[in-house]
Amino acid sequence: MRIKALLKGDISFQYKYGFYFLYIFFSAIYIGLLFTLPESWRGEAALLMIFTDPAALGLYFMGAIILLEKSERVLDSIAISPVKPVEYVLSKLLSISIISTVVGILIGMAGGVISNVFYFCAGVFLGSFLFSAVGLIIAANIPTLNAFIIATIPASFFISVPAIAYLFGVKKAWMILHPGVSMIELCTSGQNALPALLVLIAWTALLFLLSSQVVRRMLLSVGGVKL
Amino acid sequence: MISVKDLYFSYTKKPFIEQVNFEVESGEIFGFLGPSGAGKSTLQKILTGLITTYSGSVKVNGTEVKQRKNSFYEQIGVDFEFPSLYEKLTGRANLRFFNSLYQKQGDVETLLASVGLLADADKKVADYSKGMKSRLNFIKAILHDPDILFLDEPTSGLDPSNARLMKDMILKEKAKGKTIILTTHNMFDATELCDRVAFIVDGKIKALDAPHNLIMSKGATKITYTYAQNGKEKIEHISLRKTSEDELLSRLLKDNQLLSIHSSEPTLNDIFVELTGRHLQ
Repeated sequence: MRIKALLKGDISFQYKYGFYFLYIFFSAIYIGLLFTLPESWRGEAALLMIFTDPAALGLYFMGAIILLEKSERVLDSIAISPVKPVEYVLSKLLSISIISTVVGILIGMAGGVISNVFYFCAGVFLGSFLFSAVGLIIAANIPTLNAFIIATIPASFFISVPAIAYLFGVKKAWMILHPGVSMIELCTSGQNALPALLVLIAWTALLFLLSSQVVRRMLLSVGGVKL
Repeated sequence: MISVKDLYFSYTKKPFIEQVNFEVESGEIFGFLGPSGAGKSTLQKILTGLITTYSGSVKVNGTEVKQRKNSFYEQIGVDFEFPSLYEKLTGRANLRFFNSLYQKQGDVETLLASVGLLADADKKVADYSKGMKSRLNFIKAILHDPDILFLDEPTSGLDPSNARLMKDMILKEKAKGKTIILTTHNMFDATELCDRVAFIVDGKIKALDAPHNLIMSKGATKITYTYAQNGKEKIEHISLRKTSEDELLSRLLKDNQLLSIHSSEPTLNDIFVELTGRHLQ
């Protein structure tokens, strides 16, 4: 049960390094902001916040986690342990996705936007998983936090713009092929929620496989060889 | 336990490790001795499976390293030169986490006690001294009771008392029958700890033998003596084997005119310089 051990370690690491505090901090701000808005705006605002929470925070937190592990040379210890790259990635992505889903549910409840609990949770969980995988892929190839932040700009743009456009009325059926849009469609339990779920699962699986490959190379690069 | 045949490796087009051949027996402490940049750490990375793009054959515990699976790491432990620990977690939390990654798990409390860290186990690693971090890093490498232990510059940067502690821990593992690969540029550590050493220079093994054999094969013990002549102190050096042929020494001994007499053996460093033309430090 190495994945259980890794997950426990990752959650403990994120708690000690203050990531959970940041989640609580941002969630409190989001929820507080929701109640200052007119009631008619709350639904869309809550969805926007839920979207930016797993998307932006998951992406940046994952980058910060990887860069911290690099700076403390912990990856050296992981590279010479029996941990497989796929286990390392799964644990990292699950740890972020679980807390993001909890936070997403809290914001969703405050905004009154949860109409289908299964679709809503699946949307937040898979969205967070996917966006954290993007953060992991970027951080694996980048040495510093500044370079990481710059490198995330195109990814954030690609993920966010179509999703925000969809949320605010640019609704074409084919747009659910986009991962951010499919997440919004799921969270709102729209009429294309089921296809959106399948699309998001496909994107998540693809990014998971890709991030596992990237981590395999990153762990081997501890030896000083770029593959 | 370890068998390396015709090993070749390069980071670029220029060869970095060339034609390396050696074997390490079970229960042996085997040292890679050489100056910085000689290829010692690269050799260790190849042996530990962190570099798999080599040619030739490298077998560790019966496994060809480039074909290793992750279970390979259940049998080996690696202590890197620099601590590889979560700085904001406590010493105990670090050990518990890394322990949980292995099938065979060690007794964290006993290990902490064995290196005198039990009282500081709940301190954050960031608050540990360099010596404490080194000891914690060492027991992290032996948590899963590996058959083979790879140590990279284990006493580097440690004060004499912590270096002594580290060497005693290494000898304790040898006494348990573990095979230990030691990478160092410290000739004193190598002489004291290693059953055999390989001199590595420019990615090649220039000599390989027991430290004592290397010393004795190249340099005989010398005698240095001083005496007074015309009011001035004179100094002479002779080989220990030629004392009976030295008439001056015989006369000085007979007349009690020696001012001083010392014997000295060459160090491993002297032999290294003689064989390779390079300095270790």
